[in-house]
Parts: sequence; C-alpha cells; structure tokens
Amino acid sequence: MAKTITLVGISGNTIEFVDNGDPMQGGMKDVYFSPDKSYVVAFFRDYDFNKNRQEYNNLKDRMLEIVTTKKDGVFKQEGGAYWTDLLCWPYDLVEHNGKLGIAVPAYQKHFFFSVGSKNNDFLGIKGKEKNGKWFASPFHFNKNLDAHEKGDWYKYIIVCLHIARATRRLHSAGLAHSDLSYNNVLVDPTSGKAAVIDLDGLVVPGKFPPDVMGTPDFIAPEVLATKHLAKTDSNRKHPSIQTDRHALAVMIYMYLLHRHPLRGGKIHDLDPVKDEELSMGSKSVFIEHSTDKSNRPKMADVKPSHLTPTPWPDVSKLPYSLCGPYLQGLFNQAFIDGLHNPALRPSAGDWEHALVKTIDLIQPCQNKSCELKWYVFDNNTKPKCPFCGTSYKGQLPVLNFYVKTPAGKFSYENHRLMVYSGQNIYQWHVNKNILPNERLAPETKKPVADFHFHNNKWILINRKLNSLLDVSDSNKEIPIGSSIEITDGKQILLSKEDGGRLIIVQLVNNQ
Amino acid sequence: MVRRLPVYLLLDTSGSMKGEPIESVKVGLEAMVSSLRKDPFALESVHLSIITFDREVKDILPLTELENLTLPDIITPESGPTHLGMALELLYERCNKEFIRGSSTQKGDWKPLLFIMTDGKPSDMAKYQEFIPKIQSLGFGSIVACAAGPKSNSESLKLLTENVVHLDTTDSSTFSHFFKWVSASVSIGNRSQGSGDNNELPPPPPDVHPVI
Repeated sequence: MAKTITLVGISGNTIEFVDNGDPMQGGMKDVYFSPDKSYVVAFFRDYDFNKNRQEYNNLKDRMLEIVTTKKDGVFKQEGGAYWTDLLCWPYDLVEHNGKLGIAVPAYQKHFFFSVGSKNNDFLGIKGKEKNGKWFASPFHFNKNLDAHEKGDWYKYIIVCLHIARATRRLHSAGLAHSDLSYNNVLVDPTSGKAAVIDLDGLVVPGKFPPDVMGTPDFIAPEVLATKHLAKTDSNRKHPSIQTDRHALAVMIYMYLLHRHPLRGGKIHDLDPVKDEELSMGSKSVFIEHSTDKSNRPKMADVKPSHLTPTPWPDVSKLPYSLCGPYLQGLFNQAFIDGLHNPALRPSAGDWEHALVKTIDLIQPCQNKSCELKWYVFDNNTKPKCPFCGTSYKGQLPVLNFYVKTPAGKFSYENHRLMVYSGQNIYQWHVNKNILPNERLAPETKKPVADFHFHNNKWILINRKLNSLLDVSDSNKEIPIGSSIEITDGKQILLSKEDGGRLIIVQLVNNQ
Repeated sequence: MVRRLPVYLLLDTSGSMKGEPIESVKVGLEAMVSSLRKDPFALESVHLSIITFDREVKDILPLTELENLTLPDIITPESGPTHLGMALELLYERCNKEFIRGSSTQKGDWKPLLFIMTDGKPSDMAKYQEFIPKIQSLGFGSIVACAAGPKSNSESLKLLTENVVHLDTTDSSTFSHFFKWVSASVSIGNRSQGSGDNNELPPPPPDVHPVI
C-alpha cells in the first residue's frame, strides 16, 4: 500500500517520500519519511493551492526565502557548519497535489529515547522522540523517566547553552523562530545536545508572519493579552524576536528547575480557560517574585510523587538562586522587569554568556549517589549541594579573574572559576578576547591547563600556555609540562598577551 | 498545580455491538490509552472514565489518572435495548460529584471532554431528551458523538451536540482511526496554537465523516 513519490525540489534535486497513507502529524504539517529515512518531507496541511491561491503563494514565498537566502546566510558564513547540528533547517521545497512541502533533515539518533521510562520502560517510549516536556516536568523527571535518560545538572546547563546559542544565531540574522517550545527544541540530557526544529515558522522580516501564536507555556504575555484583536489590528502582538526571548527564558528555567516560572498558586478566574489566559498573559506573575508573593506555588496542591526524590515544585527548598548569580540576574530581568515590558528581556546572547560563565561556577557534588551530581557554588563559605544537601568537605580553590584596564591596572571582572580535580582551563579563560562560540577553531577548543588534588595539595599543570607566570613569586615562569601549587592569595598571570587574564586564588576551607 | 483533564467515554455495548465491533472498540481503546501515555502532556493531565450502556448502564472505569489506569474488560449481552438516556443520567450524577471546579483558593479541572459512541439510537428517548440540557449545562469543553455503522442514527445525536461524526463501518480499521482521532483531540491543547480562531478538534480522518 505504501508507495514512493518522487518529486523535483526547487533546488533541482530529486526529493522522495514514502506515502503510507498515515503521516506523522505535527501541529501544522503532515510528515513523511524519505525512503532511506535520512530526511523527511513535511506538507502544510491547511494550505491548498486550489482552495486559497493567495495564502498558498504567501507561504511559498516565505518558505522559498527560508530554504534559500536565509539558510545560506547562516550556513555559508565562517563557522557555518557548526549550525548543522543545532538548527534543523529545511533545505528544499516541493509541491504535490496542491500542497506545499519542505524537505528537512531527519533528527539525529541521540534525540530518540534509548531506554525510555522506568521499570523496563513501562510507558513504552523507547525509540520515541525526546520531547522536552519529559525533562521539564517534576512528575516525569521524578517519577517516569529512567535514570539513564535524565543526565546530570551540568548537562542541562549545556543543553540550555546550545538552545541559547542556536536562538542567538537566528536572532542575529534578524529572524524570529516564533514558536520556541519543548515540542520544537529537541534535547538530549545524556549528552547535553539540543537542536532547534520546525524552522519553517521563522518570521522573515517583510514577509507575512506565520499562522502561529506559539505553544501553551511559552506564548509571551503580550501575545496572549492581545489575541482577541483582529490579526490586522496594529495593537495585536505577533511572535517576534522579543517573544522568542520570553520563550527562551521559560525554557531555560524549566530545564534547570523542572517547573514553570509562571505557574503558581494565584487564581485569576474560576473558568479554567480564562484563568490560564490571564495567568500566562496580562496578569502573569513570576512564582519567585521577590516582592509580589501572590503567585507562590501552593505545596498543598502538589502531588507527593512530584516532590520526591527532588522537590522541584518547592521554591522554598530549591529557589532559582541555585542557578547562580548570573542566571538569577537574567531570570529577574526576564520574569520581573521584562515580563510585561518586552524591551527589557535578556537577549539570547545574554543567556549564552551567562550560561558559559555559570559553567565555571559548577562543581561536582561529593555525594557519589547525588542524582544531579553537579551544582553551582553560591559564593558561600560553606558550600552545600542544594539537591541532596551534602556539604562540601575540604579545600575549595576559587579563582577570581582580573583583566587589564586601558590604564594598565588589573580590575575584577565578576567572573570566577571553581576548581575541582580534573577541571580545565581553556583559551577563553586565558584571554578575554577569546569567546567560546561557533567561530573557535577546533584547536582552540582544547584545554590548555588542568587542576588536580595531588598529595593533599591543589596543583595546576601547564599543558599549552607559553607565558604562564607566577606573579606572587616574582613573575617566575611556569613552563609547559610543569606544575604550580595553588595556595590562598596566589596570583597567576595566564598570558602576557593583550587581553591576558590574571587569577587570584581564594581558598575556602571546610573540614 | 497541574490541572486535570477529565475525559469521559460512553460506549454502546448493546447486542448489535457483539463480536467484531466490540473487539475492535477494545483494541482501539488500548491503542488510545497507550498512545496517550506516550504523550508527556496527556500523561500529566488526562483522567479517563468509561461508562458502557446496553440494557444496563455500567460504570466500568471510574475517573482514573492515566498512569494508574488498567482497562477493564467490556462485555456485551446477546441482545437488548440501547439505554443512552440512562447513561447520560449516570454521567450527570458522576460529573457533579467528580469535577473539581475552580474556586478562589483552588485551580479547577480543565473543561472535560465527552465522547459518545453508539451503533444504534437511544431506546429510552424520553430520558435521553430529559438529560440533554443537563449534560449541556455541565460545561464540557467539547462533546463528540460518534454514530457507528449503517444502523446508527445521527439525528438523535444531533440533539445533544453539533459535533457528530459518522463511521461507515464498525470494523477494526475504522475504530482504530476513530480512537486515534479521539486521542489526537485529547492531546491538542499542547500543540502550537494558530493565530486565528482556535479549532477545538483536529480534522477527523477520511473514514470518520463529520455529520453536517
């Protein structure tokens, strides 16, 4: 019954799909696999050339732009190949029986469950797509997912970094995704990988906007608040880069804390639909707002199974401050200052930067059976894992970064690196002019020095730095292959080059 | 904090459903539950209840969360009337007891969904008509009635809801498509939302015809 349909794409290449009469159905599209399953062809269900020619042509116009100029703008730049894994971009356009279809690469293997749910996959989700919702809800995280699928807290930071970076790339090309949600971002917390999909909803400036408002949980307040207005009304808010920023902030909050930042205990209306609209829209309030506490989650409403082993829904036990100062600041900006003032929302680049800096604050939990395994050092003299409650025992070196001002003095950067055994220093720590992003050459991504706790001492081994200086010991050079002991107050210059950083060691002692 | 989405299924088990039709319904139900459990949104919110009706009305599955749900067996008598009116009566009583309505201190349920499947027409017309306004007053998000097979009567179902679909046959393939559509209708709340007026239900598959 299944037959292979062969078409010619707008690129001139052959595009094939297997019509089995039973496509996978997305919100807007019917999706068929190619014969070798390396790509899919997705047809827009509600657009028909024979029914509404103008709508169809508008869509075709927008898609054409996405698969040609917009795609080339991202992938044909320096470092363009980096985006292949992060942005699942449609690359060809076909027409069949009055419907418009796009060819999109099939998702990579790690975005499908290899184990699935607990107890020998009692839900039968092995082999299914890793919809982000599985990882964003306390119920699924605590109760349903098998431990092999969950990943550790470090991996969620990396997942968020990939999402922020992919979003930043779209935004820097002037494009809004318009429907960022856990349905449209694939995540693999076992590896930290993520990919943004459904890029056919991209808002191309100057073209007709797509027919979506977004997905519940991620729709920006101003879009919900104006949805009753006609599409052509100038006060109606449509998806844009600013609404993407809201969705991105919600997603990062949900992957790190496994709860929704706006779903609290406040009741706005007795009708569930109106209540939902108000609590996500015009009346939305951050559940952890510092002064307006009206929307704090009510623990009495939470099922016990959502609270164990990790009490994610309980903001008093796991406040968002556990994400560290940089992310806390951005959450405030996104959910307090910018919630109803889109211009104040942090950009995707802000998130990327804060996540990179947060990685430097992360350290392994000393409790070997801690489920989350990593946590952020909260600049406390008695650090303790917020997830399992285990206190840090022993010496904990904290490196404070300083950078030369134009006047030639070193000034503090509000950037620290937490040391643990096996922790690495990378080029982007050494020099402030090097940023960890897609433009780095593979060689520059390798560690240049590393830390170890050896014979009861913390040491730094120089692997690749050709001007590492012990400033506290009259600028003594530390050659490649040798090591230096890390002690309280020690000052080390990582590079003599322009932009080279100075580190000052602070040793926290907890016995 | 997660609202429940109550889903009620009223299934005709009168004599004419015996054999392939009811077996197909069971297979369709199993596939529906299994697919809803694979949907992280549905698994978190959907609560399912099944009432069967023939001469008797049976509450074979009280409102149960998907995670703890085991489908009960469904038995059909040799012959007998189709007491849909009595089924609505039981449903009315149950809903009044079970719904969690929003209050100033508690978030209530999502608007519940009701799916009715029958291959005939109500034998207890007076009771059926008596309970139509009562059921309508309960505030269902949608009520879908399915007239299955050639002997089914769409007209009487039209009295209850404007969403009436017709199945030409009562075989396994048609029921499988029908329950797939039901499960898609249950999951739709978490999909991308269009900027126009929201269509409450996804379009039915080709062998499930909307009755206009």
